[in-house]
Amino acid sequence: MSTKEVSEVVTDKSETTLVAKLEEEGDIAADYLEGLLDITDLDGDIDIDVENDRAALAIVGGKLSHLVGSEGEVLDALQELTRLAVQTSTGDRSRLMLDIDGYRAGRKDELKQIAHDSADEVNSSKTSLKLAPMNAFERKVIHDTIQTLGLTSESEGEDPERCVVIFPAK
Amino acid sequence: MIDEALEHLVKGIVDHPEDVNIREKTHRRGTTLEVRVNPEDIGKVIGRNGRTAKALRTVVSALAGRQVRVDLVETDEGR
Repeated sequence: MSTKEVSEVVTDKSETTLVAKLEEEGDIAADYLEGLLDITDLDGDIDIDVENDRAALAIVGGKLSHLVGSEGEVLDALQELTRLAVQTSTGDRSRLMLDIDGYRAGRKDELKQIAHDSADEVNSSKTSLKLAPMNAFERKVIHDTIQTLGLTSESEGEDPERCVVIFPAK
Repeated sequence: MIDEALEHLVKGIVDHPEDVNIREKTHRRGTTLEVRVNPEDIGKVIGRNGRTAKALRTVVSALAGRQVRVDLVETDEGR
């Protein structure tokens, strides 16, 4: 009993430290992005949040589609640079997520739907199902959703062919 | 504007922001932005497999609305 209590206290404390660290990441990232918007005269509000143990930033402007690019190519590049800016400042690798004008949020809904449909299929067929190749962000959304549905999933293969396999419940 | 944007992007990811210098060169084929950084930072701005350099080029071209060449060079201090 007492061991359990101790471990809970420790978890609580590290949880607080993690949130504080992620909030700091968010602030540094927001400064970096705000500076860029100022210089380029682009209108956009930056929201900072903590989601799934990551800092999550969203720029909302309405006229920023060129910063998303085709298939989110520019968004991914900007996210990469923002992570590096955070790393330069804190010394630690950052896994922050950046969204612009709801691009990832929209894609996320689509992916959640794919996960739900696939889970239904696996549940009725009782055999594993391999999905189409996806990037790391897309696979993460699928894994998270599958987990909430009580099934298990794994990624297999090498990028850019890496894909999620969903397994039936035992 | 685009040179300032690139300067901001690079300064945020290096250990020696004071050594970052951008030169814009216009030629018949378009614009080249030459980025000079401290020799200690050249690895950072290029990144693993050129990943960071590619990200910088992608964002700068998107902001400019056209293809912009970005060259990354070390400052030749002490010469």
